[in-house]
Amino acid sequence: MLRRDFVRAVMAVAAVPRLLFAQKGAQLPLPAPTPWTQGLNPKTPVPRTVAAEIVADGELKFFSTQQMATLSRLSDVLVPAIGNKPGAVAAETPAFFDFLIGTSPEARKKLYAGGLMWIDAESVKKYKMPFAKLNDEQADALLKPWLRTWMNDHPPTEPHADFINIAHDEIRTATVNSKAWSLVAEARTPSGLYWYPIEPDLRSVSAASAHVQPHVQAVPKISHPMPTYPR
Amino acid sequence: MTNEMYDVLIIGSGHAGGMAAKILTEQGIQCLMLNAGPVADVARDAQPKPAYDLPYRGFKQPGKLEHVFQSNGFNEHVWVDEQEVPYTFNPQNPYNWVRVRLFGGRSLFWSRQSFRLSDYEFKGKSHDGFGDDWPISHADLSPYYSRVEGIFQVAGAMDGPVQMPDGNFVKDDDPWSQAMLRFGAAGKPYDMQICKQRRAMGRDGLASSVNLLLPDAEKTGKLTSVANAVVREITRDKATGQPNGCHFVDRLSGREMHVKARVIVLAAGTLESTRLLLNSGNMADSSGLVGRYLMDQIYGPGVVCSVPEARGGKAAKGLVGGGAIVPRFRNIKTKADGFLRGYAMNVTSSMGGLDARNFKAYGKDLQAKMDEYYGSGFHMTMMGEVLGRYENHVRINKDKVDAWGIQTLHIETKYSDNEINMSKDCAETGAAIAEAAGFEVLAKNPVPNPPGYSIHEVGTCRMGDDPKKSVLNKWNQSHDHKNLFVVDGAAFTSAGWQNPTMTILSLSMRASEYLAGEMKKGNV
Repeated sequence: MLRRDFVRAVMAVAAVPRLLFAQKGAQLPLPAPTPWTQGLNPKTPVPRTVAAEIVADGELKFFSTQQMATLSRLSDVLVPAIGNKPGAVAAETPAFFDFLIGTSPEARKKLYAGGLMWIDAESVKKYKMPFAKLNDEQADALLKPWLRTWMNDHPPTEPHADFINIAHDEIRTATVNSKAWSLVAEARTPSGLYWYPIEPDLRSVSAASAHVQPHVQAVPKISHPMPTYPR
Repeated sequence: MTNEMYDVLIIGSGHAGGMAAKILTEQGIQCLMLNAGPVADVARDAQPKPAYDLPYRGFKQPGKLEHVFQSNGFNEHVWVDEQEVPYTFNPQNPYNWVRVRLFGGRSLFWSRQSFRLSDYEFKGKSHDGFGDDWPISHADLSPYYSRVEGIFQVAGAMDGPVQMPDGNFVKDDDPWSQAMLRFGAAGKPYDMQICKQRRAMGRDGLASSVNLLLPDAEKTGKLTSVANAVVREITRDKATGQPNGCHFVDRLSGREMHVKARVIVLAAGTLESTRLLLNSGNMADSSGLVGRYLMDQIYGPGVVCSVPEARGGKAAKGLVGGGAIVPRFRNIKTKADGFLRGYAMNVTSSMGGLDARNFKAYGKDLQAKMDEYYGSGFHMTMMGEVLGRYENHVRINKDKVDAWGIQTLHIETKYSDNEINMSKDCAETGAAIAEAAGFEVLAKNPVPNPPGYSIHEVGTCRMGDDPKKSVLNKWNQSHDHKNLFVVDGAAFTSAGWQNPTMTILSLSMRASEYLAGEMKKGNV
């Protein structure tokens, strides 16, 4: 510490008690600015904000350029604009998926990245061009054989049908839940009661324990597969 | 404060703990309630929002709650974080442990279906030879069920067969829709019966410990509650070896605390109560059965169909709408092929839109299908009994601790052929009945969700008369320690197909009245 600063610090400490006494004794008005808690009360207007996605574009990080082109075309085929309702592309679902899938467990990343590469390869095999360049009829011929009906939490487990049906469901959800969808009068984005993190998030505290490998014993594979689509 | 000795320490604040607090404090007993999480204040912690305003457009944060299928972007912060309080299982046999640590626990979010167990459950072994009978019968619990049904304002009709005993109901005399009557008639050859749903109406649409039980306890002035108190272990008196209080950690600051009490009532939820006993030097475990016989109910299988005459929203008045419960019908009058016990079905005739996944279509074709089928949905979902087996168990995983350094659970459980065959039977029988009723089957699923999904985990501290074959006696009291009670679902000897809530509440009420009596007599 420089000597000058030291002297200043000592003087500041010495000055504090006198200032406190002065306030208490003479009932002087509090020094400006007013303590912020007095100004923040239930009547204080709260600034209005919007979700970042509404004003800005997310940085693309996960899918390759080719995968992104395939995903965009697939999104457009599976969830096209109908009437005045926006399709998946207008709702910027492919860019959102680069973030959602890119931050997901490995199994989900593999399902999407692998699925996009597979459908593109199928396209090249059948039409000698990438999926992104197919017209609607050509895309239908590749996709429709894989459509299945299914119930909650039990998407198909058969290879390729899993990707097509899960992607369809999730692209549709992301589109219906988008801001673009909400702007159309007869379409209504789902809304609900959002719970904030109720107390400080303790994830950093628990990070150490989370990195310990699970202690498991090897047992034979079960014959009845349970749904395992980690989200 | 350190010398304070409470009469009763209640760990957990859900239905089980809330009922214990109400009964005990109303008898003048000083209670301390510890809850591992905070108080949920909707005015402060929640706000209506559209999905696009959430961080993941309504999807949950990826990877955070992989085993809570019930979570989404709106509610993801109400569940226990799987990284904060981890648990392990073999990847081949996944377990969905769905936990809430807010004050009131899972009583804030339950579906409110309110059924009694019958003697087909309490005396299952006497009926078919499998497992063990409970040390009590429906007659023993019936007066408590009636009082609980009164507090929870259970709506229903007096239409139950012997396997679904009637109770003290707010009368439901709405007429059946024609679709439901057609379904009921088509089910007759299977000895199936449609009954009115039984649902707790509670107050203001909430039937929870926090609005129906804890306020009564607080009114007495005898209840003290602490939030964010994560119990590490139950302590023992050095001289007598009897439980005498607990160590807990303040969830936010990490400060270690201890507190003393004459009696301990465990109500932390089936697996947390059991984890606590195991982490307290295998307390109450002279039988070696603490953690054994983990059960729940089979959810997931079902059928979605469409009532053709109702399509396009053109149903005539009285054709569709309403719900029904089909109580267990297998292995009552006849013997089913391939499985013991049975399942119930929740049946709903919906008047809104059908989910897109019921159609093999996308784009404009899908929209056309959804418009065509609008208002015609008819859904069946399964609630099946899981058999109690010794090998389905939980144990402490010494190699993995939670955010407070407390050892975690390893869960080792899987469904057997009994559960798998029962699930197939549900999907096939449901579809056959739907077709006989003239409905079109759109989708069906014969595969159960992973164990735990129903959030109806029970067992692991089973009750019984023989201290060598059970952990608790018929009063939910430890065979080993007179001053230790477990009043949550851990006490179940068998699971049944019924939502366990009414039984947990009634057992907790009965155990707490017994405890109060014993304390007054000086026996505890």
